[in-house]
Amino acid sequence: MSEPSRTTPTTAAPPTPPTGADFILRAHEVHKTYRMGRVDVPVLKGASMDVRQGEWIAVLGASGCGKSTLLHLLGDLDQSDPGRGEIFFEGEPINRRTRSQRNRYRNRTVGFVFQFYHLLPELNVLENTFIPALVGLTRFSYHAKRPEIHRRAEALLQSFGLGDRLKHRPQELSGGERQRVAIARALMNQPRVLLADEPTGNLDENTGGEILDLLAEQHRAGLTIVMVTHDRSIAGRADRIVELSRGRVITID
Amino acid sequence: MYHVVLTNRYLTSRVIPLIAVGAVALCAALVMIVVSVMSGFLDMVRDSGRTLMGDVVIELAVEGIPYYEDLIERIEALDESEAASPLVDSFGMLQMPYPQGDNKQSEYVQFWGIEPESFARVTGFADTLYWRELDDHERRTAPVWDLRRQLTPQVLKDGLALRDSRSDRPGIVLGMHVSKANERMPEGGYHPMGDGYWWMPAFDVTLVTIPSRTVGGQVEPESFIFPVVNEFVSGVFQIDDVRVKIPLEVGQRMLHLDEAELVDPDDPFTVIGADPARVSKILIRAADGVSPDRLRDRVIRLYDEWVMEYAERDDLFVMPPAREFGLSIRTWEQVQARFIGPVEKERDLMRILFSIVYVVCAALVLTIFWAIVHEKTRDIGILRSVGCSRIGISLIFLRYGLVIGVLGSVVGLILAFLIVRNVNTIHDAIGRDAPVWSWLTAFGFAVVSLMMTILAARRERMLPIVLWSLGTIAMFGLGVILLLHRGTLVWDPTVYYFDAIPNTLDVPNAIVTMIGAIVFSVLGAFIPAAKAADTDPVEALRYE
Repeated sequence: MSEPSRTTPTTAAPPTPPTGADFILRAHEVHKTYRMGRVDVPVLKGASMDVRQGEWIAVLGASGCGKSTLLHLLGDLDQSDPGRGEIFFEGEPINRRTRSQRNRYRNRTVGFVFQFYHLLPELNVLENTFIPALVGLTRFSYHAKRPEIHRRAEALLQSFGLGDRLKHRPQELSGGERQRVAIARALMNQPRVLLADEPTGNLDENTGGEILDLLAEQHRAGLTIVMVTHDRSIAGRADRIVELSRGRVITID
Repeated sequence: MYHVVLTNRYLTSRVIPLIAVGAVALCAALVMIVVSVMSGFLDMVRDSGRTLMGDVVIELAVEGIPYYEDLIERIEALDESEAASPLVDSFGMLQMPYPQGDNKQSEYVQFWGIEPESFARVTGFADTLYWRELDDHERRTAPVWDLRRQLTPQVLKDGLALRDSRSDRPGIVLGMHVSKANERMPEGGYHPMGDGYWWMPAFDVTLVTIPSRTVGGQVEPESFIFPVVNEFVSGVFQIDDVRVKIPLEVGQRMLHLDEAELVDPDDPFTVIGADPARVSKILIRAADGVSPDRLRDRVIRLYDEWVMEYAERDDLFVMPPAREFGLSIRTWEQVQARFIGPVEKERDLMRILFSIVYVVCAALVLTIFWAIVHEKTRDIGILRSVGCSRIGISLIFLRYGLVIGVLGSVVGLILAFLIVRNVNTIHDAIGRDAPVWSWLTAFGFAVVSLMMTILAARRERMLPIVLWSLGTIAMFGLGVILLLHRGTLVWDPTVYYFDAIPNTLDVPNAIVTMIGAIVFSVLGAFIPAAKAADTDPVEALRYE
């Protein structure tokens, strides 16, 4: 991990177009415009960044600068403006894939963690954790894989200190516990990249610290993490900081 | 697989699917009940036709059918037929024994001259006779006022033979509602008004008619005094209100259809032969497993052969062939078409009108699902973020609709079965004064609700205050309605065709209704499911 460093008010040079598999994830000159009523609001204006295998990157910026949008584009939850930039995973543009390949990308390759946990209120902790593993399974294949799925989900929750909370509903948990369940769900399918959107934004300092420790532990185990935050001290836990301002990457430390 | 898990959880952890199931169940039950009752009427019309006149009827109204005994013998020899019976019928006036004094009341009647023994084999005549000795079980359950408690077996025997055994005279059997003295009791039996004073089998009546077969000159009415030997209840009010049965030979005599001498038209004093007795109808019952249509076709062939044979044998024999005007050989369904047609049309109309209920059902499911999808917007975003496809998301809600449709239609079926099965009990209960315990219970609940309202008010909880207040008003209102209820006879047998409401569930219709409810529930879920599939995951995750 590197110490947080002071940013310089200069616009960072965009990375060169992808040449190979140097980077696991890359955003190249992406633009994203939202329509608000009759007005087009550009959120990303040619943002570029690279993520190396095993790296923990913090995307830092003020509210509304487009950091969550960039994270959604990296995870293919949203698409950039047509013909204006591309997202590459291991050198391959993800927006040229078929719909089912992209669904599979979200299911297997990346895992999302959100600021507001986003757990399904009708499911218990265990079910919330293993729901990604059920995607794509038929009733028969589920029954074949059921013991393995349950074992993995229970192991993850045990390691996150939630072994006695398996049958609890999300509303019966504290904020920190909910976020740990959300991280367990994101890791259920053993993704290559974890995309965390303000994972401590809704937690107090101590609980937030615990969550960051948990992410650090996963990072040490080799997981690539892209974390969005507006807090420079939290961003300091990452290997590298990419700073966004007004839809553009201004510094890369 | 996640569809299954989520559908199950959405169904079991919320109240809103229960409301949807209830809405579908009520819609399905409503359609099933209405169509079952209408179909029941249709079946009753059909059954009554068969009970009253057998399966096939040969009819030549004015001239009558000669040599009918031979024709009946040949018909009974057919494999397709079980029995056949001759009949004469016409209209007349029946002078009743009431009121007291000289000015007796007359009733307009349709009389049937029958041969009781063969008539009972073709129709359900024996079962329709009302005055009979009660067996031990019936005696225990019959109300004290029931006159049948005092009867001997002779009353039924006299009715079946159409003969008064005391005076050894030909007797008459009246439809139960011909005598306006007979009253249908709420318990279901009949009782003559005035403490049995006008109990018809104790009186004579006079039947007056115009003979149907006359040759020129002035028409003289014919009359005959009959002792009433029994009364019948066919269950069809319009029949029981006008029909009477007398012995065939008396009917033939009154209508001038009995055997007569045939005289030379040029010399009226010279007898040239005998004109055989005639009947206006022959009723035929089909053998087991033979359809009325098949029997009719066979009888038409037999009749034509018979006419040909007699025409060759006897120059004076004039009978139209089977398909000529004046003679008809029809199934009971064709004879009853005048009744069956309108009831069938009514049932179909009801079916169409109540199909609107299906649309209401779809609209309800759509509204409920729209609310569910709206509420579940964030869940949709979460599921998309873990890799669920658009189709997968929409399948959750379609499956949800399917389960609600299936559950709703099954609950609707049970509800409809219970209501249809007990429809006459429910009707009778409405027809009586509400029992004391019912309104006392309602007022009791009203008091409890009022106390709960006061408790909720002290705790300053708005929702319980509103709910318990509504409960208090509803229970108090129900209590007042029950207290003031003085019995309403919705189903008056003097107005409607039958004297009881059909209480059998129409199973094919129930199956169609269930399928309809399921299809419309899924259709109702379609639009919200498509909306769910189109939900932008990023927008959905921002949704609070």
